[in-house]
Amino acid sequence: MRSRDGNHSFTLSISSIIFALLYSSALFADEYIISYRYSVKNATLYNETLYVSKAMKKCKGTPYNSLILDVTKSENLKEILLNNQDEFITFLYKIGLHVEHHEETLNGVNDSSTILTLPSKCFKVDFNDNFVKIAPLK
Amino acid sequence: MKYSLVLVTLLSVASFAANSDASKQVAPEPSTITVVCPTGSCTKPSEVQKVEVINPVEIAKTKEVEPPKPKPQDDVLSTKEPLLISVVGQGVAPVNTSSPAQAYALAKRAAVADAYRLIAEKVKGVRIDGQDLIKNMMVKRSTVRTSVQAMVRNANIVETTFKEGLCEVEMEITLSRSQFPQ
Repeated sequence: MRSRDGNHSFTLSISSIIFALLYSSALFADEYIISYRYSVKNATLYNETLYVSKAMKKCKGTPYNSLILDVTKSENLKEILLNNQDEFITFLYKIGLHVEHHEETLNGVNDSSTILTLPSKCFKVDFNDNFVKIAPLK
Repeated sequence: MKYSLVLVTLLSVASFAANSDASKQVAPEPSTITVVCPTGSCTKPSEVQKVEVINPVEIAKTKEVEPPKPKPQDDVLSTKEPLLISVVGQGVAPVNTSSPAQAYALAKRAAVADAYRLIAEKVKGVRIDGQDLIKNMMVKRSTVRTSVQAMVRNANIVETTFKEGLCEVEMEITLSRSQFPQ
């Protein structure tokens, strides 16, 4: 249907589609708060937890040191991270983990516990068709 | 003429007073060497002993030992070369694992945590607290507590080995002076 201005609405809709296609990655970019923690007791893994949450307010900082995970189409970040656990945890080692270790030797009997924690950190996540790009914000 | 005589006498009195002040400042006696013959009848020069008496003022002068200059400490981190710290962490798999792959994965986590702890111990240090309870001359309870807290960044896994349920992870961290704010 032609508008009174000729083909104005048609060109506007076409240009908006082109714009959306060009900047599709930016449109699907989200910010997430991720934290990770695992504890080891007497040299045996005791507990492991990964917390993923969408950021409720905009994070400050610029992305650095990004990780690209090959995934099938999914928008659940926690699921993606659990499916690619090894890669993601190796990536976390580079970002840095907080170490807390306590050891007690009582009458010659040793008991130790170590907790490794990634403090809550904001990540920029770009969802694409075949891959997900994750980058912490600094 | 009278005034000139008075002036001359005044000058002479002043010069005398100055001389007497100078004589009051006793010059330190120099060290003296006394020759002593312990037997009383010394015929040979080898039997004679020389005793040097040193003036205490001179002793005080000579005994002024300069404080040792502090040696420039060698920095652990030199400006040019980075420091490489390498550790081997060990971990074991839990008893109830569903598959060898799961056992390996869990043992590796434990080994990485151990390696992180070792790096933290080397870089930051360990807090140690000990307590012994002794009753009737016997040790009733002996406790040693150690703790480490640190943030470790940029640690790399170099090698991982898994043998007979024990996982060993070799980790490295490179420290350079520029990482620490001066």
